[in-house]
Amino acid sequence: MIEELTGALAAEEAAIYAYGLIGVHLASAEQDRARTAEQQHRVRRDELVDRLDELRASTGPAPAGYRLPFEVTDRATALKLAVHVEDGVAQAWRVVLPVTEGTERVDALSALTESAVRATRWRRLAEVTPLTLPFPGRPG
Amino acid sequence: MVLTGAVVMRAGGHTRRRVLSVAGTAVGAATLTGCGLFDDEPEPAPEPDPLQPLLDEALALAAAYDRAIAAQPDLGVRLTSLAEDHRAHAAELARLIGTALPSASAAPSSSASATDGDTTADLRKAEQAAQKTAVAACRTAPRERAALVGSIAACRATHAEALR
Repeated sequence: MIEELTGALAAEEAAIYAYGLIGVHLASAEQDRARTAEQQHRVRRDELVDRLDELRASTGPAPAGYRLPFEVTDRATALKLAVHVEDGVAQAWRVVLPVTEGTERVDALSALTESAVRATRWRRLAEVTPLTLPFPGRPG
Repeated sequence: MVLTGAVVMRAGGHTRRRVLSVAGTAVGAATLTGCGLFDDEPEPAPEPDPLQPLLDEALALAAAYDRAIAAQPDLGVRLTSLAEDHRAHAAELARLIGTALPSASAAPSSSASATDGDTTADLRKAEQAAQKTAVAACRTAPRERAALVGSIAACRATHAEALR
């Protein structure tokens, strides 16, 4: 479980980093949405740090930088990155489901679901279709 | 490591309980048949897979989208991919359960024009209810099923969002 939770933590850190770059390229209402998303990822990140602490796992220092899959230069690439990071977070939480039970699994599912819903919102703003994936969090 | 071990044991226990429960049903039925009291009763159906309701729901949702599209073809662009998601869920669940999907001839599209079809608001409500079913199923699923059922729950939530 520690390995899976550590993966979720890395994905949340990456999302927080990415949203810092995304916001400046967006329109004002979209920036609010990006800020809200970043805040939600920070809450998840803090919960994961606490949980890993309980499990006596060393989380190590946060990576100093995150390698972007492509350059963010305008609104279109900013929205594309937002979709990309939310899909990544969904993948990281999906693998937590088999190694958890009960309320802890339901909580991991909430994190997966919230990322999938945010990805759908960003796709709508980017006018990407389809808006949904059949199996959010499944790689590939 | 210890926690992972516990999960495996629990999952195994669940399977054993199900096996025992099915065996108990068969013994009970044999006893009753022996008494001759229930000769007219049909053979008891095997206990359905716990994910069967989720599969039935996926097919019902796909059919609801088909009806809505048939009634209002201009919704097709928006709704077709959502219906396809549900069919993909049904196919995966059928594979996992080891059951066959109803044949294509059972699809309701032929008679769909007779009804008005659901509105997108109706569909959104149905997706939200179906998401709850899937969350409950994910919570109790054995570990090897948890990821698939979780993805189905998340997908239903994204459908509700896409219908806003």
